Amino acid sequence: MPNVRIPTPLRKYTQGREEVTVAGDTVGVVLDGLEQSYPGIKERICDEAGKVRRFVNVFVGEDDIRFLDNLATAVKASDEISIVPAIAGG
Amino acid sequence: MAGSRFLVLGAGGLGCPALLGLLAGGARRIGVVDCDVVDATNLHRQVLYDLGDVGAPKVEAATRRLRERSPGLEIEPIPLRLDERTLSSLLAAQSADTVVLECSDQPDLKFLVHDLCGEHHLPLVVGGVQRWGGQAMAVRHGAGACFRCVFEGAPPAELAPSCAAVGVLGAAAGALGFLMAHLAVALDAGDDVAGTLIALDLRELRPQQIRPGRRAGCPGCDPHAPRPAQGPLGPACSTSAAAACSR
Repeated sequence: MPNVRIPTPLRKYTQGREEVTVAGDTVGVVLDGLEQSYPGIKERICDEAGKVRRFVNVFVGEDDIRFLDNLATAVKASDEISIVPAIAGG
Repeated sequence: MAGSRFLVLGAGGLGCPALLGLLAGGARRIGVVDCDVVDATNLHRQVLYDLGDVGAPKVEAATRRLRERSPGLEIEPIPLRLDERTLSSLLAAQSADTVVLECSDQPDLKFLVHDLCGEHHLPLVVGGVQRWGGQAMAVRHGAGACFRCVFEGAPPAELAPSCAAVGVLGAAAGALGFLMAHLAVALDAGDDVAGTLIALDLRELRPQQIRPGRRAGCPGCDPHAPRPAQGPLGPACSTSAAAACSR
């Protein structure tokens, strides 16, 4: 199953886990699975319309999904998905 | 390097280690901008200051400490409250060899600094830190991805809690601040770092480097795209420091 790297601000949803594995063959399906396992996390990543929020980016490996097929981007079991939000503090 | 200038916006958790990192990296001309005063509750991460500095303007305390470490340093304390007007004037007055380090704690300000640096053709490093980690990105508009290529806008206030609300590990601020200084020096040296974003979390100790592509139509770096809308800036400094913001 693809490995999902959870950024610090979202780890309160994953009981502090830095990485989780979630079944799915696209990024969107993986995020749906993430929400099933960790309720509340998806609305921090996607807006009401289901699109990835403007201040969050999702990468498969080093590839920005906006340059691929967005949430329909295909993933393999060996892929690593990174959720990278803009960090505001200073 | 000896002649280059570095402008550090924010002398807090990121700015303090960034200033020390710049000094260690050989910087000899530094401007430091802040309009706040030293607070005892922030000393764990604002490592330039101690209890004797509490209540003093940060730019004055930082300048004093850096001069103690390097008497020949040319450092300019700038007690300035940053908004679109003051920031634009400040950046317009910078020499072409200036590298900007965005070390503030305001999400909208980070984007405003990024966008105005693009208008004034100044390279910059944007940083952020919270809890155990954060990120830093080196940007030279037109060369590689910019910050808006990665993040299209700032998070809303309700999704961007302040460091005071959620905390920040002093070591995380230190690591990210020094990383920002390193990226700024590398930008100045012409190293191939523009467009590189590095995320670091001290709990997993596995830095993540991302070099995204430029986003077509990005308002941050595509000259044909409309200028990005700016969000309202939050309070830039405490009320007690307002008197220090004299410019």
